[in-house]
Amino acid sequence: MSYRLARGVRLQTSADGEPVLLIPEGIVSLNVSAAATLELLDGTRDADAIAQLLAERFEAPPSELGSDVRTLLDDFVERGFVTT
Amino acid sequence: MTPNPRSLLCELTYRCNLQCPYCYNPLDLGNPRDDLDVDTWLRVLDEAAQLGILQIGFSGGEPTLRRADLLRMVERSTAHGAYTNLITQGTFLDARYLDELLAAGLAHVQISIQAPERESAFAIAGTDVHERKLEALRLVATRDVALTLNCVLHRLNHDALPEVIAFAEREGIRKLELANVQFYGWAYKNRGALIPTREQVERSATIVTAARDRLRGKMEIVYVLPDYFEEFPKPCMHGWAQVALTVTPDGRILPCPAAAAIATLAFPTVRDGSLADAWRDSAAFQAYRGTDWMPDPCRSCDRRERDFGGCRCQAFLLAGDAGATDPACSKSPHHDLVVALRGGGPVPEALPVPRRFTAATPAQHEASSIPSA
Repeated sequence: MSYRLARGVRLQTSADGEPVLLIPEGIVSLNVSAAATLELLDGTRDADAIAQLLAERFEAPPSELGSDVRTLLDDFVERGFVTT
Repeated sequence: MTPNPRSLLCELTYRCNLQCPYCYNPLDLGNPRDDLDVDTWLRVLDEAAQLGILQIGFSGGEPTLRRADLLRMVERSTAHGAYTNLITQGTFLDARYLDELLAAGLAHVQISIQAPERESAFAIAGTDVHERKLEALRLVATRDVALTLNCVLHRLNHDALPEVIAFAEREGIRKLELANVQFYGWAYKNRGALIPTREQVERSATIVTAARDRLRGKMEIVYVLPDYFEEFPKPCMHGWAQVALTVTPDGRILPCPAAAAIATLAFPTVRDGSLADAWRDSAAFQAYRGTDWMPDPCRSCDRRERDFGGCRCQAFLLAGDAGATDPACSKSPHHDLVVALRGGGPVPEALPVPRRFTAATPAQHEASSIPSA
């Protein structure tokens, strides 16, 4: 299952350098790891591929990142920010 | 230190070809001759970018009546990296114009309907445009842009709530906003005719809960709670002058779209200074910012940083004092004014008054500049 940002959802950096998700009439603050995950959504990568890339970037074991990535994506799908 | 605002609502004009009696626009719609020119609007958008504003809304009146100007404003906002929302009734959205707006970067379209079918929609809007809206809705749904369907609920259409949800389902809507009428401007004038009954409010809560469960994952339903029926007031605008500002068609800078009603405050205008000046230094923006201004019961209330004393406009309209606790709060000494309006309360007007310009600004303004679609 691959992921991408939902229609009308944009990843952006605020004036103070904070990563944010811009959604219809709203702004969602993101932490660094959430932003790094969302940057990798391209409509082709699945959760494992995203975890693998994050593991390389943050030099962490992919097995540990995998469940975090899934939890975050499930939450964002539920909130309508991400679609599969 | 004052935080910077995060969103700006641009009201491009109060002209509109509909006459909805629940409109929150002010009773005095002014004169469209005083509408800001596009160069001033573009400067306002530049100032918004300097303030770090990321969310821009385009509303009115009907913003698409300023067809070419709106397009330039969307382009400019996008160039600044802002997210753009068009709040429209949809009757002027043809394919060519929509595609121009999308090419300019428009991210989200909100289209309103008055009722789930033509006859009732006509009765409420005073203009027979339901079918035209349906075309616009279907057009936007075919494009790569976020779409919200909005329906303002009030006594005259509350009973059609299940049909509104069914309409949205039929049209494949992903996000439905059911907004109970809020009593400002024309809606405040018409509150006796528009306030839903207690039975309607209770029934709608059950209907919305069931629909949300049934449509989970298919349609998001945003339900704006009915004013005047809750124990505590809404956390209006997340506090006065905390996150958002509005610029009116004639250039007044307001902390919320309804604030022009507060006759005791003098609001800054974009003609006299920048958005930053207004936000940081104007007396009107500082008047009710934070918690220092609060009287009791707000001052000693443990909810003071949750609902911020409620709505200043409502306090002014109902209690005659913008610095009073929102009468919608059960702790307000003026709460009886709200209780009296609920459901079986007095009905000052059987039929609502349609929104319109005053005699001083002839009705032809409403139609004169409407482009042929």
